[in-house]
Amino acid sequence: MNLKRRSFLKMGLAAGAAATLDMRLLNYVGEAAAARSDDAPTVTRTTCSPNCTGACGFNIHVSNGRINTIIQAADYPEQGYNPRGCLRGLSMMNLVYGKDRVKYPLIRTGERGSGEFKKVSWQEALDYTAEKLKGIMAKYGPEAVALTVQVPGTGYVHKGAFVRLAGLAHWSIHHGYDQNGDLPMFWPMTFGVQTEELESLEWPNARYTMVFGSNIIQTRLPDAHNLINAKNNGKLVVFDPDYCSTAAKADEWVALKPDTDAAMGLAMARVIIEKKLYDEKFLQDFTDFPILVRMDNGKRLRAEDVKSLSAQAADQKIPDYRSFFVIQTAAGLAVLNPERLDPSGADLEAALTVELTDGSRVQVRTVFNELKEMLNDYSLEKAAAITDVPAQQIERIATEAAANTPLHAVYGASNYQWYNGDLKGRAISLLPVLTGSIGKSGGGISTYAGQYRIRFNLKEWWSAPGGKLNWVPYLYFLQGKGKRYPKKGIKAMVGGWGNPFDQHNMANRLKDRSASGDIEFVATFDFSMTTSCQWSDVIFPATSWYENYELTATILHPYLQLQQPAVEPMFESRTAFWVARELAKRLNPEFEKYFYPGLDENEASQEIIEVLLKTGGFETRGITLEMLKKGPVRLHSTAPDDRQIPFYEQIHERVAFPPRSYPAPLKATARFLKSGRIEFYRDEDLFLEMGEQLPVQKETFADTEYRVDPAARQKYRLRFVTKNSLYRVHSTHSNNVWLNELQGNKPKVFLNAKDAAQRNINAGDFVEIYNNRGKTKAYAVIDPGCRQGTTIFEQGWWARYLKNESYNSLTMPWIKPLHEIYFVPGIWSPTTVWNECLVDVRRATA
Amino acid sequence: MRRGMVIDLEKCIGCRSCVVACKQHNAQPPGNWWNRVFTPGSHRHLTPPEKGEEYFLPVHCQHCNNAPCEKVCPVKATYRTEDGMIMVDFERCIGCRYCMAACPYGVRQFNWEDPKKAMEKYEYQQDYSYGYPEEFRLDGRLVYMPVRFKGVVEKCNFCAHYADKGLDPACVRGCPGNARHVGDLDDPDSKVSKMIRKKKGFTLLPEKGTRPNVYYLPPRRKEG
Amino acid sequence: MSTSKKIGFLVTGLLMLAGLAAWGLQLKEGLVLTHMRNSYSWGLYVATLAFFVGNAAGGLVLSSMIYLFGVTSLKPFARIGALCAFANVTAAMFAILPDIGQPVRLYNMLLHPNLVSPLVWDVIVLNLYAGLSLLYLYLLMLPDLRGPLARIAIKVDDPAAFSEKWAKRLAPYMLVAAVGIHVITAWIFATQGARDWWNSAVMAPDFVAAALASGTAVVLIVCVLTYGIKEQYTAAYRALATFIAVAFFTHIFFMYNDFFIHAWYGSTEALDVLAITFKDYLPAHVFEVLAPLAGVILLLNGKVRKSGAAMVSACILLVAGIFVHRFLLMPGAFDRVPLTIAPLGTQDMQWSMPIASGQYNPLGNTFVTSWQYFPSAIEIAIVAGVLAYVGFLILFAIDRLPIVNAQKEST
Ligand SMILES: Nc1nc2c(c(=O)[nH]1)N[C@H]1C(S)=C(S)[C@@H](COP(=O)(O)OP(=O)(O)OC[C@H]3O[C@@H](n4cnc5c(=O)[nH]c(N)nc54)[C@H](O)[C@@H]3O)O[C@H]1N2
Ligand SMILES: Nc1nc2c(c(=O)[nH]1)N[C@H]1C(S)=C(S)[C@@H](COP(=O)(O)OP(=O)(O)OC[C@H]3O[C@@H](n4cnc5c(=O)[nH]c(N)nc54)[C@H](O)[C@@H]3O)O[C@H]1N2
Ligand code: SF4
Ligand code: SF4
Ligand code: SF4
Ligand code: SF4
Ligand code: SF4
Ligand SMILES: [Mo]
Repeated sequence: MNLKRRSFLKMGLAAGAAATLDMRLLNYVGEAAAARSDDAPTVTRTTCSPNCTGACGFNIHVSNGRINTIIQAADYPEQGYNPRGCLRGLSMMNLVYGKDRVKYPLIRTGERGSGEFKKVSWQEALDYTAEKLKGIMAKYGPEAVALTVQVPGTGYVHKGAFVRLAGLAHWSIHHGYDQNGDLPMFWPMTFGVQTEELESLEWPNARYTMVFGSNIIQTRLPDAHNLINAKNNGKLVVFDPDYCSTAAKADEWVALKPDTDAAMGLAMARVIIEKKLYDEKFLQDFTDFPILVRMDNGKRLRAEDVKSLSAQAADQKIPDYRSFFVIQTAAGLAVLNPERLDPSGADLEAALTVELTDGSRVQVRTVFNELKEMLNDYSLEKAAAITDVPAQQIERIATEAAANTPLHAVYGASNYQWYNGDLKGRAISLLPVLTGSIGKSGGGISTYAGQYRIRFNLKEWWSAPGGKLNWVPYLYFLQGKGKRYPKKGIKAMVGGWGNPFDQHNMANRLKDRSASGDIEFVATFDFSMTTSCQWSDVIFPATSWYENYELTATILHPYLQLQQPAVEPMFESRTAFWVARELAKRLNPEFEKYFYPGLDENEASQEIIEVLLKTGGFETRGITLEMLKKGPVRLHSTAPDDRQIPFYEQIHERVAFPPRSYPAPLKATARFLKSGRIEFYRDEDLFLEMGEQLPVQKETFADTEYRVDPAARQKYRLRFVTKNSLYRVHSTHSNNVWLNELQGNKPKVFLNAKDAAQRNINAGDFVEIYNNRGKTKAYAVIDPGCRQGTTIFEQGWWARYLKNESYNSLTMPWIKPLHEIYFVPGIWSPTTVWNECLVDVRRATA
Repeated sequence: MRRGMVIDLEKCIGCRSCVVACKQHNAQPPGNWWNRVFTPGSHRHLTPPEKGEEYFLPVHCQHCNNAPCEKVCPVKATYRTEDGMIMVDFERCIGCRYCMAACPYGVRQFNWEDPKKAMEKYEYQQDYSYGYPEEFRLDGRLVYMPVRFKGVVEKCNFCAHYADKGLDPACVRGCPGNARHVGDLDDPDSKVSKMIRKKKGFTLLPEKGTRPNVYYLPPRRKEG
Repeated sequence: MSTSKKIGFLVTGLLMLAGLAAWGLQLKEGLVLTHMRNSYSWGLYVATLAFFVGNAAGGLVLSSMIYLFGVTSLKPFARIGALCAFANVTAAMFAILPDIGQPVRLYNMLLHPNLVSPLVWDVIVLNLYAGLSLLYLYLLMLPDLRGPLARIAIKVDDPAAFSEKWAKRLAPYMLVAAVGIHVITAWIFATQGARDWWNSAVMAPDFVAAALASGTAVVLIVCVLTYGIKEQYTAAYRALATFIAVAFFTHIFFMYNDFFIHAWYGSTEALDVLAITFKDYLPAHVFEVLAPLAGVILLLNGKVRKSGAAMVSACILLVAGIFVHRFLLMPGAFDRVPLTIAPLGTQDMQWSMPIASGQYNPLGNTFVTSWQYFPSAIEIAIVAGVLAYVGFLILFAIDRLPIVNAQKEST
């Protein structure tokens, strides 16, 4: 009996009685689902929610219980968001009804990774899983079980259910953002937030837009028209080593050498400063530029250490996460108030000697002075040599940008997924800051990676009383060591919404550790038979986003939206909430009460959405489930018309930086921005040691590939840039028949003609990409836009399309020690730097 | 009334959403695509040509005013509607494929085998198939059906089944670039007529004299 | 019946059956069994249509030479001419039938004919010509319709004179119809602006020229096989050979004249199209020119004409060459997708916009800019069946009808 749910029953069996019987056997019947007649055509407004985090509203047309067509809902109140959606969303039926759909709970029968499973009942799968997990928890402690959840925004309810369970059971939790490498560390370093960004409707308000390695046309596809509008309202300049489609659409393409954006940013900053094109008032009031830095130890001068100011500082009360720093004004030395950003009249430049409380005297000067001195190293000529971009072009763009504010800089994921990505981000941030573009409509700096940024307070659902959320950096798990890594290691992986065995298995570590039995148990729930499923011990069939209720958000637009079931769950699939509840009660009967025991999964999901809306904070105030059932509803923000303009409150209300980043309390994040201002100067010891107190350009691979293997310079002469494909969302849609048809059904690797010729490779050749960690195979495309010395691979293919060798066997989980300083549970972790990877390519036989 | 389409190449981002929307809503069997988007000069979509600038070009039936496909069709299965759309009557077509030879744009597709059987190649669960689920007749003629006959020709039908409901074509509603517009080319004040005038609209292969009702607006770029 | 006849019937009969079976299979599975696809929508069937239409010229040549131009030496071959015309024109129609995706709907041609479609014209003239050649054959045979055949003979006083008179009267109409089938079949192609390879004013005259060559050669083959080499036919054979030669050289002249003009002007599209024939299909092109040329040179040689086998071989060379010529109608038109576009900012490059082939392969490309076509076994079997039909019909007619013997006596 392979027809299970009513939708399919209807097709095969005419008898309604059989259907009901079947439902009873399954011990499931959603009220809404049962009430709906299968024959009547229906239209359901729901949300496409893969990890591109586009969150596009779609109307799903259904008849006879099956999806006929999918089309953009185009019901956003602002026309600038319509019609949101893309080719992937439009072909989602290929995943819902595709041949790789996971239909039943499965338990592994063959070797790990063999893909041999037996079909079992839910009861059996859940009991088996609970037994295994209990055994591991008893043997190694509960933290030996690790939950992997992908970015929260694609669904707060069901991910929340698993996080809640993990909290109750005291498991370890890996956050999506550090696995993904999506967290650009310049944000906490400079702005004290997890990340911020303009909503895409704000893009056209910029008069100058600089895109640093973000392939918006492919990766922010439903918003790309807003970029074209920005181009037509102002100017669009794309900095990218590759002539990507976004570069093709731009007014100007700056073909800089990979990983030299820091030098580019610094040289442009220098031009702006030398030509005095900066916004002085803005720098005085909102940045750390006027703060005095001690020449003796490189630390910022604290008021309590200054003889003339210490009493004044002691008088005022500030939270511990703030500090009093010292500035120079017309009236002399002054204490900088870290809690308000009132006009300070501070001198941007000052060099003097101050007397400390212990009577000693130190030389000090402002951060701005430090910066200017540092920028002496980045003359146009030097920058031109580093970046391979003509000095005159750099100068012209900097001048144009400063004259056309607000300036919006977009800093893309592939660009920051390098070891020194933080430095690049800090350097690029200088541009919108110097021009005073922050907090303005259309201005600022944005990063559009996955939707890890949580948009409102989720605490009420994500953590249960008595639970604790034990976030463990993913890279520590991969490396098998690290500060928060459990003593006895991580022995069980429980995960969903992700495909770590393709997307995160760096150097095939996961496969090896699973094969060797080091990882003792893997349970995955997914609606597609991914490589991770293939490597699991238990697979739970999950509902897709057209078969359940869920609450979603994204960074590209500030609308909350629902997923609503358009069709009944296919085969025996269930929601993650239901799986979490069933597992919870098997692990500990006490847990069940935290999972709405009386309600079926759909009722419970809706109930949870209501709770989330009620307790979400000012962002969700007044928003109800009923409103969301009708269409998208805008979250509230501090900017006029609830626009998503980062730091609006800071700039216009002069509230100290940073704004809060959910889920952490303000104090956890604000401690990195002790002055309450945008900070370019870092004075933690490690920064000083590494010479990164201010952003600088560092040589690619010097601290990574070349350090561990100096011979790599000769052996592996190509940078391996793995970027996102138009045709996939990471590995989701890897098996989408139409999208594969559009790509000639073949994985590709892009090479510059000269690199290809040197290696005797012709267009269409089957080639191997290799280094000493791993290899993968693909078909060569000779790409005139691809820079010499770089090979580009469109990541996201399931291993089965790559002769079972993942491209992530080549990459390496480097950890930049500076990132460890910024660990904040649930917010920051060391992040993966996919592009910090050297390879070479040779012809292969198919 | 002359129904026409304008595709703004400045706005087109080459995403192929229109291609997929068309495939899906018009239930095209494996191997058939009524609508296609490429980067002229490059066989790899979204990869620049060796020479020249990269831009994206969506092509489907141009609904020609002087349509060779219409003229060659021996049985008037391909015909022009009153508002200038070129249609194929699936019940009338004898499958001679003369129209395919006649069309300079390569937009016509043939059902080489039984579409039901072809569909098996996508290996869906439980014989799933996609598309607008009902037949649609225009003036009594069958211009859309979810499962085609074997041995007939098909192509863009200007989404007549949606036009009938007052809806824009699937490719227009599915275009996230806002690059596609439909309207009345006979009306000089229609949005499309104005766009063509103001932005120097052009048609494809003008030398073939087909006089398409699908216009393109050129891509633009400010000088460095 | 002689053994060779028996073998002839057996072979053509079996081939016809095989062709029919192949067509049956193709009807069931669809044209997917052919190697045509969306970008290459016509192939062997249409080429074969053109080929047989050309061969049907034989009837016209004989009748007009005899009755309009008074070449009386050809008189004995008049019936063979008419028979060949009928066999070939019906074969042309049989060849195109399997190309039709929905053959049961052909009645739509009657119900809803599109009067501007060259295909409709072609169907009309082909049928007309088939009817006319049948009628013509009948008229020519009328004097000899005796025995059981007498039943189908119309009653006239002097059948021989009646036949002579009406054959003469009908000849001009035969001429018109024959030119009609060639010109209109050529127009099917030549009117297509979409295909630069076809879209030429020389297409129709060239088609006629090639047809006159091959149609006459077909008649000549049948004549030599039935009448053999005898003194009394020398003049007739020489006349036919000369005619073939003139027609062939005219064809070559038309063809190269067209190529020359296009090559001289040098537009990218034209050069691209020429390149298909001159590069991708060079051997085929060499064959289409050299084989008939060899055939013609042989035929013009009086010594060669002394040997039946040599003459038949020479004619087969010519006919085969013309067949390849007809086949080469397709690659130049379909090998490359005609929608070519220059990338922005260039003009020296013509880039074909890929089109969906209509064939899904989970490991390969759906979108193609070129399609290397070679007919599938099914296509070849069907065409072989149609060819066999021509042979069978001629054999059968000669066996049962007063095509040969009666004439022999009367001369
Ligand atoms: N279609 C699609 N969209 C997606 C996703 C998907 O998988 N598919 N994934 C989503 C997710 S989770 C993410 S994180 C985002 C990521 O989206 P993006 O930020 O756009 O990332 P990529 O596409 O990887 O790369 C963007 C560009 O960075 C360039 N680049 C690489 N190195 C450098 C460098 O050193 N300097 C400069 N200036 N440029 C460089 C690359 O050439 C590339 O063109 O996309 C999201 N959107
Ligand atoms: N080499 C290299 N590797 C990379 C990157 C790179 O640039 N280079 N990019 C990285 C980045 S930025 C990211 S964000 C990651 C993404 O990595 P992942 O998030 O692991 O990749 P996806 O393929 O999106 O995996 C999502 C899986 O979740 C399933 N899924 C989707 N929705 C649901 C749901 O509602 N319920 C359940 N149960 N399952 C669901 C999908 O079927 C799919 O299998 O990849 C990273 N990996
Ligand atoms: S895949 Fe992403 S961009 Fe495309 S429709 Fe779905 S959410 Fe939107
Ligand atoms: S959907 Fe719109 S933007 Fe995308 S390729 Fe088609 S026309 Fe261009
Ligand atoms: S584009 Fe082709 S199919 Fe469409 S009307 Fe013109 S000739 Fe006919
Ligand atoms: S294939 Fe159909 S539509 Fe095309 S010409 Fe023949 S009958 Fe007309
Ligand atoms: S109008 Fe309809 S049929 Fe034509 S291309 Fe657009 S979606 Fe396809
Ligand atoms: Mo990501």
